Amino acid sequence: MSGAELADLAHRVVDRASGDEEVEAFALRKVETEVEALRGEVDALSSAETRGVGVRVILDGRQGYASTAMVTDEALATALDEARSNAAVATPDEANVLPDPQTPPDVGDLTRPGFLDVPVDRKIQLALDLERAATAADPRVRGVDMAKYGDAYVEVALVSTRGVESAAARTDAWAFVLPLASQDDETQTGMGLTIGRAPGELDVDGAGREGAERAVRLLGATKPTSRKAAVVFDPHATAAFLGVLARALSAEAVLKGRSLFADRLGDHVAGEALTLVDDGLRPDGPATAPWDAEGVPHQTTVVIEHGVLRSLLHNTWTAHRSGDSTRSTGNASRGSFKSSPGVAPTNLHLSPGDADPSRILADAGDAVYVQEVVGLHSGANPISGDFSVGVTGLAVRGGELAEPFREATVASTIVEVLRSITAVGSDLRFFPFGGALGGSTVLVSEMAVSGR
Amino acid sequence: MDLLAERLDEVLIREVLTAGLSRGGDFAELYAEHKRGRALRLEDRRVEELTSSLDLGAGIRVIRGGRTAYAYTNVLDRESLLEAARVAAAGAQGEATRSVDDLTRPDRRVDHPVRIDPFEADKEDLVALAVRADEAARDVSGDVRQVIVTYLDGTTDVLIANSEGRLVDDHRTRTRLATQVVAARDDVIQTGFEGPGASAGHEMFDSHRPEDVARAAARQAVAMLDSRPAPSGEMPVVLWRGDGGVLFHEACGHGLEADIVAKEASVYAGRRGERIGSDLLSGVDDATVQNGWGSYAFDDEGTPAQRTILFDEGILVDYLSDHRSSRKLDLPVTGNGRRQSYAHVPIPRMTNSYIVSGDADPDEVIASLDRGVLCKGLGGGQVNPATGDFVFGMTEAYLVEGGEIRHAVRGANLVGNGPETLRRIDAVGTDFAQRQGICGKDGQGVPVAFGTPTLRIARITVGGTA
Repeated sequence: MSGAELADLAHRVVDRASGDEEVEAFALRKVETEVEALRGEVDALSSAETRGVGVRVILDGRQGYASTAMVTDEALATALDEARSNAAVATPDEANVLPDPQTPPDVGDLTRPGFLDVPVDRKIQLALDLERAATAADPRVRGVDMAKYGDAYVEVALVSTRGVESAAARTDAWAFVLPLASQDDETQTGMGLTIGRAPGELDVDGAGREGAERAVRLLGATKPTSRKAAVVFDPHATAAFLGVLARALSAEAVLKGRSLFADRLGDHVAGEALTLVDDGLRPDGPATAPWDAEGVPHQTTVVIEHGVLRSLLHNTWTAHRSGDSTRSTGNASRGSFKSSPGVAPTNLHLSPGDADPSRILADAGDAVYVQEVVGLHSGANPISGDFSVGVTGLAVRGGELAEPFREATVASTIVEVLRSITAVGSDLRFFPFGGALGGSTVLVSEMAVSGR
Repeated sequence: MDLLAERLDEVLIREVLTAGLSRGGDFAELYAEHKRGRALRLEDRRVEELTSSLDLGAGIRVIRGGRTAYAYTNVLDRESLLEAARVAAAGAQGEATRSVDDLTRPDRRVDHPVRIDPFEADKEDLVALAVRADEAARDVSGDVRQVIVTYLDGTTDVLIANSEGRLVDDHRTRTRLATQVVAARDDVIQTGFEGPGASAGHEMFDSHRPEDVARAAARQAVAMLDSRPAPSGEMPVVLWRGDGGVLFHEACGHGLEADIVAKEASVYAGRRGERIGSDLLSGVDDATVQNGWGSYAFDDEGTPAQRTILFDEGILVDYLSDHRSSRKLDLPVTGNGRRQSYAHVPIPRMTNSYIVSGDADPDEVIASLDRGVLCKGLGGGQVNPATGDFVFGMTEAYLVEGGEIRHAVRGANLVGNGPETLRRIDAVGTDFAQRQGICGKDGQGVPVAFGTPTLRIARITVGGTA
């Protein structure tokens, strides 16, 4: 199925619209593969091809939704009728509108030729190579908890009665490994990751080495002493933290009373050093696309500028709910064609500073270097802002990485963490989870570290 | 059934399974599914969303030794199915040695008849059901602040075939209504939840009227507004009929699932025939309960549903197994291979799991407490299957003194160990009630029911704040 056929599917729904009703059809096709290696063999392999169409109907402010994985004319007509009759019983809301067409920005070609023709045996080999790279990197790596290769080809087409007509395609490949490093009775893990547009762009040797190094350097870890200390977050840990922040920065969370950033636009919510940007257009971003799940162009949104909260992340509904001057920031997102558009970040990252990581460590002097954050989901509350999470990492002594630690927590409030960020590193790196988050080395001037 | 039968005749099924075995697989299986469903959410007195969905797809699983490969597609034409089979086959990385046996249909042992197909109810009817629940909840008390009503229905047709010659088709129907109520007074906010469901159509609402469901949720929330901090320490606890089932499910049931047993990650591994619990304890997992929320006629590997005795008067009798784990442990399959959808591999799961009623009068069980806690609601828990240690939050609980219920308590956990708690059951009531939920494991959610009569646990740690 080509992009044109997918657009045709969407048209076959929208062309049936009648009278005053507004109709939007979102058609998706996805082809994906995952391979897990274990002890030199394929432990699990999964491969999938899915396609389907989601239909949204709005009439007199009432919105209805239906989806179908069958794409015959009859099934598409049924989906439209279902969405119509679902709309008929919904409560009217004047913020239910479809966006007008806008010219999408040029983000370049996000696909690689031949992607769908890569044989599965080649993908199996990459997973096996990844596992081998991790175990060969250090004699203390005795195996892996997981070594996984994955890829996906995704194309979407969006058509609406407002005149939106958009199509896009992308290819992605990734590989990650969690090596197990052991010494005496102790075992540690660390993640190694590589991402690219095609299997050939992956550096599985590098990912294997990265995972091994991150696991091995934690061996011999002990509980740190409890104290107040400067804390350096590495890019992995910073990205994970941004995921929590993103939930609170969604306008949907703010409108439904679930965010600590309610009524804070224009306020100083972070330190001067912090500029937070959501950029759905960056060539190196995993969430890059010309437009969002409603056909609104992706854009560069400065969310926090030198510490001042400038914008929340919006889709069309949250923008209309928020008032006349608010426009969608192109952050509509859907998990699949089966769900109506919610809000998610697109390549959310801290604007890189000019200091390289070693400079930040040197400035920190005596500090705690966090390489892994555990329990963020329950330990960081985007509503109250409370923040207490488990961490593992290394001590920083005299500006250099020193002995490892484990079983520690760092606690503060989200606002206090943001206020205490005094330096952001130049080492920005994107991670392909949670709407794609970009982490860099960050220095927080003081946090409560608990250990023994 | 028509849609799947139209696309998958026996010739094509054999072709797909043969392609699955083409690289040395020991076992190949095809699972195809056609699902229709609706979901309505009413929140803040507004019908926020009504969504209809139609899903169709098939997955091909190939096993060789300990390795599993899975490929799925929702394009159900010959070429896509064969391609998926070839991809799944590639995981085996060898030469074909096996062929597909003749396809035969196993006996159907149970049925779950549906009297009122949910799709006969039109959408106004669904909104009316939700509005009835919303209004009934708000009528319970002026302290009710928010009501969220969710209605779900669906029918699923499945076709399952494997290289050992099994061929099964089945039609499944499910309906559920859930109400969540938030009550607040001064600075105290409490919530209540009630969510009955059945493998049935709208006749379910004859026995679970939306008003009754909503009132039960609202009463819980309001009752907890008067709660005081809970006591701490070891004491007797009475688990009121119904919710104790979630403890049995989480703290004991998961440890009996054969994949966890095979990994030796369960405290129950290697202990069949051993006395684990009190001799008052008999527990079963029963997929044949007529119209039960966790019931089916065949599991998602095509094995006929069955009733499996887990504990008989305290003795551990059986584990819950699927095709793969039964081979690993050399045990018979119990028909507990389940999957969330065609996009998932089957794993051993519970269905309707419960503790069988005894002969104690439930009121007398409460009256027997000199000082203890009566627990009517359990919330989220955490269990370590390897040790059996668990922690559960109590969502509705009361302090009992001198056999009398004193007041509601809040902020307390039950902390214990699965086998130890089973051993300390010293009264089992004549009453029985069950709850319905979605159980998550390995990222897959499936409908399960769990239940108990009123139970007394002689001693268990209550982690309160007072």
